[in-house]
Amino acid sequence: MEDVAPKIIDILKKNMKEPPETIPLDTPLSELDIESLDLAVIVFDIEDTFGIEIPYNANEEVEDFKTVGSVVDKVKELMSANG
Amino acid sequence: MSDQQTKRVVITGMGVVSSIGTGADSFWSSIRAGKCGIGDAKTYDTEDLQIKIAGEVQGFDPKEEGLSKQFLMADRYSQFAGIAAREAVEQSGIEMPLAPEDGIRCAAIIGSGVGGINTLENSYHALFELKKRATHPLTLIKTISSSAPAHISIEYGITGPCFGVVSACSTATHSIGLVYNMIKQGVIDFGLGGAAEASLAWGTTRAWQGMRVLSPVGLYPFSKHRNGTVLAEGAGILMLEEYERAKARGANILAEIKGFGMTADAADMVNPSIDGTSGAMEMALKDADLSPVDIDYINAHGTATMVNDINETRSIKRVFGNAAKDTPVSSTKSMHGHALGAGGGIEAVACIKAMEDNYLPPTIGFDEPGDECDLDYIPNKGREASVNHVMSNSFAFGGLNAVLVFGPAPA
Repeated sequence: MEDVAPKIIDILKKNMKEPPETIPLDTPLSELDIESLDLAVIVFDIEDTFGIEIPYNANEEVEDFKTVGSVVDKVKELMSANG
Repeated sequence: MSDQQTKRVVITGMGVVSSIGTGADSFWSSIRAGKCGIGDAKTYDTEDLQIKIAGEVQGFDPKEEGLSKQFLMADRYSQFAGIAAREAVEQSGIEMPLAPEDGIRCAAIIGSGVGGINTLENSYHALFELKKRATHPLTLIKTISSSAPAHISIEYGITGPCFGVVSACSTATHSIGLVYNMIKQGVIDFGLGGAAEASLAWGTTRAWQGMRVLSPVGLYPFSKHRNGTVLAEGAGILMLEEYERAKARGANILAEIKGFGMTADAADMVNPSIDGTSGAMEMALKDADLSPVDIDYINAHGTATMVNDINETRSIKRVFGNAAKDTPVSSTKSMHGHALGAGGGIEAVACIKAMEDNYLPPTIGFDEPGDECDLDYIPNKGREASVNHVMSNSFAFGGLNAVLVFGPAPA
């Protein structure tokens, strides 16, 4: 579980045109240079990396997608639920 | 002004296949009843899908529909097109198949967002999963997105311009607009325009799921509780005809196409731009030589995604100004679902019926207005009203916009 955060940060960086050196966990996703289509690709990448399904809907604002840290928490939660 | 520019274009036939009815009359009674065609998908396996609902054409059996052999061999999308085209042809009273001198003056512009993608999906399943030696020999001609116009041209002896238009969710509106322009310019005298879509399947739903824009519960345009669109299937096809020709043969004229506008946002694949969408509406009004106050009803694109409904509302307000608040707007997608490429064709039928019946179709499933959604969306209950001029909006992924304006039959 320790490597979840760095892996997610790597995925975010991979999908940004000019990624910053570091992305702190409390960074709101809205402050990153990612658009709605990028987010769909990022969620897909995260699902693929961790073998989970994230019920993300671009039409809804949910707490799980507020900050980088909340995405990490959601992924950990889904991984535990998968056993 | 040259004679070519003064040609008027009327509608003498229409046909529809949808989740709330096949045939314009059945479709319209469902609209009047506020019936919803969205439910649990039955034509494909949804067990491992997040999205399990769709607007399917219920109990469709091509054999029972009495289609000719060539259509029975075709993909479901072409079969839908065949049924809608047949209804439009029969209603027009034009004798088919056409004599050679008429055939060359007729068009069949029948588009589709993705054509026979179901055939392709089944073939890949057979090859990759079931390790079959070969695909069905008709796989290719069933799949190509020009198969519907080809089958229709063969069926009716249409030897003029026949091809498919592709612009995702604006396909049918672009197709109708193209036939309208060709008649206006004197390239042809009459023709079928519209689109068909039958892309509901396991694989395509997975692809759509990946876009994260589908609702797992329902399609609630402009409403507070909306959370995405719902895929559907069907067809909507019109018979368009040069006015003098239609009058001379004593045709029953259903309506006139007054104007057509098309633009591209040239901005983003998924986020619409107000400039592109309002530009297409302005262009259609200008072509129709009408003012916003003349429009009695707007059939919105109204997909129930967060971004479309806000952008469309803003666009209507920009184009209609003070008249926006007094112009009823509804999304009939709330009933028949989002039939993608076919959407504008199905909605054109709804617009013509609205004028014929003087009745404004509702937006069903409406709880309360969504943020920034502050127009008259005809919530939940349709209403009687004098309906003379109607605008129909279609806005597609990629920022491809098409808008039609319909008016009454010329007096």
